[in-house]
Amino acid sequence: MKKAFLSTGLLLITILILPLFISPFLVYLSTEILVFAIFAMSLGLIMGFGGMPSLGHCALFGLGAYTVAILSEYTANIYLLLGAAILISLCFSIVTGYIAIRNKGVFFLMITLAFTQVLFLITSRMKFWGGNDGYSASVTANFGFGEITSNMGLFYMMGFFFVLSYFLLKLFVNAPAGKVLKGMMENEGRMIALGYNPKTYKMIAYLIAGSMAGLAGGLYIYKTQFVSPALFSVHMGAEVMIMVFIGGLGTVFGPALGAGAFVFLQNYISTMTDRWPLILGLLFIAIVLLKRGGILHLIQFVTTFGLKLFKPSRSRNAPVDKQVKGKEQAS
Amino acid sequence: MTLLKIEDLNKSFKALHILKDVNIEIKKGERHVIIGPNGAGKTTLFNCIYGTLPLSSGKVYLAGDRIDHIPSFKRTEKGMGRTFQKNNLFEELTVEENVRLAIMGKKKYRLNMIKPMQNYTDLAAECRRLLEEWEMIDRRAVLVKELSYGEQRLLEIILSLSTNPEIILLDEPTSGMSPTETSRFVKLIKKIPESITLVIIEHDMEVVFSLANKITVLHHGTAMMTASPEEIRGNQMIQEIYFGGGALSHD
Ligand SMILES: Nc1ncnc2c1ncn2[C@@H]1O[C@H](COP(=O)(O)OP(=O)(O)O)[C@@H](O)[C@H]1O
Ligand SMILES: [Mg+2]
Repeated sequence: MKKAFLSTGLLLITILILPLFISPFLVYLSTEILVFAIFAMSLGLIMGFGGMPSLGHCALFGLGAYTVAILSEYTANIYLLLGAAILISLCFSIVTGYIAIRNKGVFFLMITLAFTQVLFLITSRMKFWGGNDGYSASVTANFGFGEITSNMGLFYMMGFFFVLSYFLLKLFVNAPAGKVLKGMMENEGRMIALGYNPKTYKMIAYLIAGSMAGLAGGLYIYKTQFVSPALFSVHMGAEVMIMVFIGGLGTVFGPALGAGAFVFLQNYISTMTDRWPLILGLLFIAIVLLKRGGILHLIQFVTTFGLKLFKPSRSRNAPVDKQVKGKEQAS
Repeated sequence: MTLLKIEDLNKSFKALHILKDVNIEIKKGERHVIIGPNGAGKTTLFNCIYGTLPLSSGKVYLAGDRIDHIPSFKRTEKGMGRTFQKNNLFEELTVEENVRLAIMGKKKYRLNMIKPMQNYTDLAAECRRLLEEWEMIDRRAVLVKELSYGEQRLLEIILSLSTNPEIILLDEPTSGMSPTETSRFVKLIKKIPESITLVIIEHDMEVVFSLANKITVLHHGTAMMTASPEEIRGNQMIQEIYFGGGALSHD
């Protein structure tokens, strides 16, 4: 608990002071990064702690986005809108999760993809809500403290939800249910012999991840003001999976870093060269070849290695500032 | 009192008829050892009793209740524990973490999603008691993958004991153990109270005769005979099949 509070506190402070050090464009870009960070962390939970690689996690994100976009015609209350986004994603997760968690590995991947394809087809035929061309919404966030219109305001809004999501996930993975989930991923047969019902724990994780992705999708609209069936594309499903991979599978924070790296590179490199997919591909291959290691693991490796150089005698007791980066070690 | 009853159990893998009309009754408190050459179907029998594999036909009763149709994790809840022939542990976790995860299986708070697992003091206390009992307390902080093979075998048993079972199925617990580890193991097994019934698949005849008070001989998927150790020792046919040819020694 202490550790979760500590790392959340540090994350919160980082978010609070970050805009002081970065350019306005980066603040704008970070808004998107934070939304995708929530999205990627939620997928990271089922992929890295539950062994459920969903290629259709974007379905929940897309549903959240469509829910807010469509309902914003009738109400501007952000609590209602985000609540509805979470609820709809949760309902969809209950139905699809019930079927999907009975499968493993490639079959899980394909089933989740299939559900998403269904949504893709439905939304592209939904002429009333824009069909293939997408649907523009005009939403302004207002939590009761006035309208949030500036980029800085949006950044802090997304930052708040990001830190909250991080904290909740951190609690979950260290609590009994999270530990059981991880044990299930590592050795399901043994967990069953210990009296645990695998479906219960997988379903819990699937629902948490689904609701969180729905929330991220709902938040996304406040930045883009636009939804389209592309949210349900294989492309989208694969992109968020790549974020999890390059950030660090099996950690809470890794996928957030992955989202950051992905969005950042996409925006920067694509202005310099149109070979951006190639560079991303190479990065992805390198990380997959390194096996399971993402950016977070790399940072951990470098910090422990660096510490060994400086303090050969006490290399195991990392000072606090290093532990921030290595904070996922415990989970 | 009969605790575990196996009635007309048959198991086939497609055309392979592995277990044929197996009938075994195991009484409460018994140390029931199952012997038989490799491929006789002993592990398959355990998998059928525990529900890891579905039966082709037959019935399994635990304390009078039919259990052959309920999922495995529910059999654990009903008081059945098992170990695996091949070590089946959480290799990346420490000994202590393995045991805690095992003990937590019967706790209501296993579904808690907020409070860190390490803050449950009852879990820590029970874990410590169990590890002390099994002389593994010094190894509590070691990663399981770094344990010796014999220690891992022992941890298998500790994990199966963590669920408070009434009956434990032990699949070749001493396989791969050194002679020292084996004698230490026998000593520890003898300390398990009679309230816990043991069913043990075992190849080492010395271990068999020092633990068993009932022996079942499984041969080509048939329970040829269930009898006391003395009767098994005195039986001419069994002597010829197993002790003469040395077919019981594990390859
Ligand atoms: N899942 C399976 N599919 C097909 N055949 C199997 C399977 N499991 C075991 N067998 C076969 O069943 C027979 C008995 O195996 P097993 O129960 O492991 O024997 P034992 O434990 O007595 O050495 C062997 O011939 C084995 O090849
Ligand atoms: Mg066997």
